[in-house]
Amino acid sequence: MNYVPGTASLIDDIDKKHLVLLRDGRTLIGFLRSIDQFANLVFHQTVERIHVGKKFGDIPRGIFIVRGENVVLLGEIDVDKPCDTVLQQVSIEEILEEQRLQQQAKQETEKVKMQVLKDRGLSIPKADNLDEY
Amino acid sequence: MFRFQSLDDDCTLEEEDEGQVEEEDEIDQFNDDTFGAGAIDDDWQEEHKRLAGLDENVGLGAGGGGGGVMGRESDLGGAEDITSTRLSTSAGRHPLPSSLPSLNFSSSSVLPPQDVEDRGGGGGDLAESLARLILEADPAIAGVGATERPGQSLSSTGSSISALHGLERPTVLPQLSSIPHPTHSHQAHHPQHQLPPGPSTLGPPSGPPPPSSMLSYQQQQHLLHRGSAPIGQINSHSIWESNMGFGPVSVTPALTTHMEDSPLMSIIKEVGLPKLPPHGRNDEGRDLSERVPPPRSSSPVIGSPPVRAVPIGTPPKQPMSHSLNHQTHHPTAVHVRAPVQHRYPPPFPERLSPNTLLNIANSPLCRNPFPPGVGPVLSQIKRAQLLSSQVAGFARGGPAPPLLPGGGGFRPFFGGPPPPHSHRMGPMPPHGPPNHTPPIRHNTTHLHPQHRRMLTQRMQSRGGDRSRTGGDRRSRDPYSNLMTQKEKEWVTKIQMMQLQSTDPYLDDYYYQNYYEKMEKRQERERDSSKKEHTTKLITPQVAKVEHTYRPVQFAGSLGKLTVSSVNNPRKMIDAVVTTRTDDEEKRDKQVWNKRRQILYTVEKMYSLLLEVQDFEKRFVQAPEEDREALLEQHKTNTVQLCNSLREKEWDDRVSDEQCVMIMSVRKGKRLISRLLPLLASPQSSAIVMAIARNLPALAKKDKQDQVLCWLVEPVSTVIQSLSSSALTDLLQELQGSDGQLVTVLQNKFGVTLLYLILSEGEKMQSSDPNCQLMDDNRWTELVFSVTRELLSVPSSSLSAPLFTPTNLLSLFSRYVDRQRLELLQNKLQITALSR
Repeated sequence: MNYVPGTASLIDDIDKKHLVLLRDGRTLIGFLRSIDQFANLVFHQTVERIHVGKKFGDIPRGIFIVRGENVVLLGEIDVDKPCDTVLQQVSIEEILEEQRLQQQAKQETEKVKMQVLKDRGLSIPKADNLDEY
Repeated sequence: MFRFQSLDDDCTLEEEDEGQVEEEDEIDQFNDDTFGAGAIDDDWQEEHKRLAGLDENVGLGAGGGGGGVMGRESDLGGAEDITSTRLSTSAGRHPLPSSLPSLNFSSSSVLPPQDVEDRGGGGGDLAESLARLILEADPAIAGVGATERPGQSLSSTGSSISALHGLERPTVLPQLSSIPHPTHSHQAHHPQHQLPPGPSTLGPPSGPPPPSSMLSYQQQQHLLHRGSAPIGQINSHSIWESNMGFGPVSVTPALTTHMEDSPLMSIIKEVGLPKLPPHGRNDEGRDLSERVPPPRSSSPVIGSPPVRAVPIGTPPKQPMSHSLNHQTHHPTAVHVRAPVQHRYPPPFPERLSPNTLLNIANSPLCRNPFPPGVGPVLSQIKRAQLLSSQVAGFARGGPAPPLLPGGGGFRPFFGGPPPPHSHRMGPMPPHGPPNHTPPIRHNTTHLHPQHRRMLTQRMQSRGGDRSRTGGDRRSRDPYSNLMTQKEKEWVTKIQMMQLQSTDPYLDDYYYQNYYEKMEKRQERERDSSKKEHTTKLITPQVAKVEHTYRPVQFAGSLGKLTVSSVNNPRKMIDAVVTTRTDDEEKRDKQVWNKRRQILYTVEKMYSLLLEVQDFEKRFVQAPEEDREALLEQHKTNTVQLCNSLREKEWDDRVSDEQCVMIMSVRKGKRLISRLLPLLASPQSSAIVMAIARNLPALAKKDKQDQVLCWLVEPVSTVIQSLSSSALTDLLQELQGSDGQLVTVLQNKFGVTLLYLILSEGEKMQSSDPNCQLMDDNRWTELVFSVTRELLSVPSSSLSAPLFTPTNLLSLFSRYVDRQRLELLQNKLQITALSR
């Protein structure tokens, strides 16, 4: 029911369940309630889904307002489609713990890598700084 | 500022007496010790005397001096005169002298001994004496002694007191008829702040005071100050001034009962505590006040944008009708079907907000704008015309009608039943979900029909799939439709606004081209029987409106407008161009001017060229009637192009000089390379000749850019079309004078050109043995000289060509012997298969 056929608009996506990936890597799932011309999004009954390996956990977050510039992708979730994923849902504490471990491991490897590079006189700037130049 | 000065030990303000000058501003008006329960008044008369003495010592000032003189003289007559004059000048209204002499008399009779005592040389102020007299005499005033102001030099209040006399006359006089005279100057004396001289500041009395004879002092004061409220904040130190802004906590009727209280207390009760400035206004404005931009300080009506209560672009909060009517000054009904009365267009059409657009779009365009007779095929121009005629009532020129064709192109708001003529729209989705509103008919006329078809197909399929599930779920979702229809429309409007275009070919080139290609493809695929698919592409188009800004100038005025605003800025600097007449600069300038001239010519030719090249596309697009016009225009353009290369107006030959000039610029070379294919044969060959003739010069100029090589392709095309004699001529030109060939060979393009010519000649010879190439010996000679040159020129200076034609070898084999042939072969690296 596109208001302006021939164009892309978020109007049709209102009140539907969506998944949005943000620039900081978070994944939010919620009902898209409102938009504006900058694609700022208002999510209702939002759930932040954390994935670690094959496990995932949902953290209920309530209402989210996402600034348009931070959206990487946004897609509608088809609730009818059977969900036959290999992913296994776990509790919040567990997933947070898993995430923490994952981050820790990553940091360790990163540290080692930086050290090795430093020894060789090289340096690679971190990606998260680059974004903000 | 009033201070309570008391000699009592328990008064803590004594120290303030000394520091009074600097602390005047800092008095704590709510300090209990000053005015409240802690303030104790004692025998104010003694206190007053003491203070008077102090004041005298501090300094009397002019008024005091005069008064002092008077006092010293204790010349009643003189004093009387002076005072009366003083008073009359200040009061200017009431017959004072009648009362004053009596005052004087009494004061002078009573006071002189005191005068002498207290003030020695100075003070003897009449005012003071009066004051004292009154203070002594009037019991009613007894309680108010606390409000004396020691800090203020009493003498210096001479003038002020006289002023006060005058001031208080209006209020006081009516009452004073019943009050003994002595109260006069007490009244005068009492508010010892610096009321501005002149009774004019005292407005008319606030109202007829109650006629009770024994009007209490407080009440009088109250009235007085009410009356003098307009004086406002004269002196920041005085509480009375600040009291002006206060609403009195009025207990006036009961004042008499308070007389026993601390006088200050009663005063406070009477005038009230200060409170915040009245904010009654703010409550209703609070909704919008956060959004209101600060009021413009200087906002002349000329050209200022309307002050909006809510900034442009705010999403609609209230029902559209309200907001539109209030905010955009459009009195149009929002109801979709209602006709529109456009009254005053907003003065700033360029910045049409979504709300305005909605307004425009909704009103005339919600009914089908096109009369029934109009077929589905309309050119953009036609649509624009129709739509603009529809809204001719719209009082404004420029942007609104041009906007409307765009508005006609997009009409996303369909609250009501579909418009009567639905043939405009694409095929309706036949089975809308049951709980939907009647299916929305989109205006897809702005889209390409192919596009439209695809869309409707998509929509149908989607609608079919989702109708069962989506609709049910949506009806059960209690949070649905948080975003109202209006808001959705508003967002859509903004998005559509961004799509408005004055030149779709410029802005949306790829869309236009893509659908064009598709159309062509379809035409090719389909058989010619199906003619209905020759519909034209229609896009929303906003006419280009030229807004040249001309600053407002008033005829006959000296200088510039002093009034300027955002929309009519003032021209600040009159920049006048003056040419410098220095000789060297002249020369330089000439050179520059020439270059500029060349560039200008190149630009003009380029635009012509582009138009010519785009002609075909436009031709296909244009409807039948316009085609001839376009054709004509095309011819004119081409002719113009050719003419621009001419030497003189009447001479049809290609101007060498012109060509060279153009070619000296990089862009010019590019231009020529694009132009050559378009020109007629004689002209193009002439150009090629010119190029060949001037190659050294061109090559020199091209050293940096190396752009000449762009010319290879078009030149080769031309060469291939040359006749043999022309070819020979060309070769001759290329060789030109002595040494030219050397330069030519040094340049890549030159070499390529040479090869091209030779190859063409060879082709001619080999294909047609009877060709005229060999008729005269020119060709042979030329080739000989070429070969000679080629052999003699050192390899290093020989530039590599862009490509080497294959038949060079055969060419050379005709003319040179085997040895030389081999040499040539090695040098030029031409083999039988070289490329």
